[in-house]
Amino acid sequence: MKWILFFGDLIGPSICGQEKFFGDQVFRINVRNGDEISKLSQLVNSDNFKLNFWKSPSTFGRPVDVLFPSVSLQPVKSFLKSQGLEYLVTVEDLQIYHEIYSIARDFPDLASRVKIGHLFENRSMYVLKFSTGEGRQQLTIWLNSGIHSREWISQAMVIWTARKTVSDYGKDPAITSILEKMDIFLLTVANPDGYVYTQTQNRLWRKTQSLNPGSSCVGTDPNRNWNVSFAGEGASDNPCSEVYHGAHASSEVEVKLVVDFIQERGNFKCFIDLHNYAQLLTYPCGYMVKKAPDADELDEVARCVAKALASLSGTEYQVCPTCTTVYPASGSSVEWAYDNGIKYAFTFELRDIGHYGFFLPANQIIPTAEET
Amino acid sequence: MQLRRQPLPAPRPGDRYPAAPLLALLLLLALQGAAAAPAGSGEPEHSGWRQDAELPRGLLSQAARAALHFFNFRASSPSVLRVLAEVQEGRAWINQKKEYKVDLVFTTELYNPEEGKERLGKCSARVFFRNEKPRPAINITCTRLIEKNTRQEEDYRLYKYMKQLKNLLDVVNIPDSHGHIDPSLRPIWDLAFLGSSYVMWEKTTQFLHYYMAQLSSVKQWKTNEDAIDFDYTVLLHEFSTQEMIPCHIRLVWYPGKPLKVKYHCQELQTPEEASGTEEGSAVAPTELSNF
Repeated sequence: MKWILFFGDLIGPSICGQEKFFGDQVFRINVRNGDEISKLSQLVNSDNFKLNFWKSPSTFGRPVDVLFPSVSLQPVKSFLKSQGLEYLVTVEDLQIYHEIYSIARDFPDLASRVKIGHLFENRSMYVLKFSTGEGRQQLTIWLNSGIHSREWISQAMVIWTARKTVSDYGKDPAITSILEKMDIFLLTVANPDGYVYTQTQNRLWRKTQSLNPGSSCVGTDPNRNWNVSFAGEGASDNPCSEVYHGAHASSEVEVKLVVDFIQERGNFKCFIDLHNYAQLLTYPCGYMVKKAPDADELDEVARCVAKALASLSGTEYQVCPTCTTVYPASGSSVEWAYDNGIKYAFTFELRDIGHYGFFLPANQIIPTAEET
Repeated sequence: MQLRRQPLPAPRPGDRYPAAPLLALLLLLALQGAAAAPAGSGEPEHSGWRQDAELPRGLLSQAARAALHFFNFRASSPSVLRVLAEVQEGRAWINQKKEYKVDLVFTTELYNPEEGKERLGKCSARVFFRNEKPRPAINITCTRLIEKNTRQEEDYRLYKYMKQLKNLLDVVNIPDSHGHIDPSLRPIWDLAFLGSSYVMWEKTTQFLHYYMAQLSSVKQWKTNEDAIDFDYTVLLHEFSTQEMIPCHIRLVWYPGKPLKVKYHCQELQTPEEASGTEEGSAVAPTELSNF
């Protein structure tokens, strides 16, 4: 039931006060002797701070990880300094990565957290890797979530999915068989800077947070920034636009890191990009907004998926090529994936069809995750 | 609910008038809130129209949305707002000016459905899109969803509730980040949606459509005279540009009377404007609509 608690954590404090869960940090503290361990234990167990150990101090000589809430950072730093304890800040902006860190920690044989680079605001970019084989060159699936930061259902949903994957491996035949044959990379937050912004400043922020020279408007649409039909129809060259394509393809570090990672590793068979809203399941058009060579097969696969999805709660998705549905979208991740040989490339526009839109209530997170 | 496009009835040569089934439907259905096209955008003549066999994708849905916004506005009833359920059939004609005439039949649901009670209404409409110019002309007829007396009672109940509300100037961001709307504020949301329907109708073209994303703030809530005088800002989500359009809306509502609306929406900043040091201009309702 951990994910329910996690969502409770997300929802509860955020309604009361937005600062509460943000800026929490994990400190890695070097403890060299028993005396230092006891000082640290005193600190952690004191009522003032409400702390908890991530890695408990069992023996000295090994570093200890402690999670400190943002409100306590200053006093903690002062305390550590006064006691001569060395420390290093290892995890910033905890809320985003806490869960994938703990999934990787709890299921080390199956899941690992891979850092793929640094972002514009100096945050790290992490992807969660699921693999049952060491060193084998597996066929791989890439699951992309939260590229548009305001589409909160996508980031929330994949946490559930990640938990389900690790919990059900070995029990559920479908998950087990997929993981025996393939690796899965799950990018839980493809636009972390934007996501932070939606939590602290503007709930409806969509783009990255990169600065645009000569303009007071910030950010590029990371789903118009990929190197395929770049700057074509469906994208804008106005930095103030929500679909601004950026100065050039892969100008956004969020995009470049993923492109480089996928291209270097190779062997990707499937790329799924999660968004909301509209309840659509779409597949690529191919380079010149014409019918993609594999359109028929992709259409059939997509219809199967939509049918399975609807079988749980009756939620209906419309299936079609991306360019003919909502808008032609040049520079999109899924078109790029297809163009680079990743045949099974799909976009999910999750719930709903406009009633709540981006503000999909929390009570729809689990039903959405389950059906998808 | 999903939009499912039915195959169009086969066009017959020289057939420029609504197909027989549509006419029959119009005659047989109980008429409710027949809404005429607004003045100044009179119905173009039938000559010059050729049937568009290959409908631009989404045109029927666009027409249905525009028609429903207009219908909701004209009904002026926050307790019986409708949303699109499914387009059932439709056909379109295009002229040299690239204007579209769309005839369609679609089903509707209540915006605020009661628990366990699904009410499906049916509408037929004719919509004129004026090649990306705003204010599509609408003719729409719908079956009655709720008995007239019930609707009047419900509206009046809402009105009395709203009259005793105080301290609404503190209201910001509904729903909140997590999609929550306090039940005590739901009627405000519905009234805001009603006012926004007017705006969304005017702005809908064959390419652009809107959803009301958020009620950002309440600027004024006056109830000391008879009517409710509500001054507020909303964010409209525009498809397919993905823009969030801030609109300042002022409405005056009294149950049973036509809604009055004034509004002003902010335009997207151009690159030139953004490169200077100008601040965004203050938004005030200057456009007189039907006050």
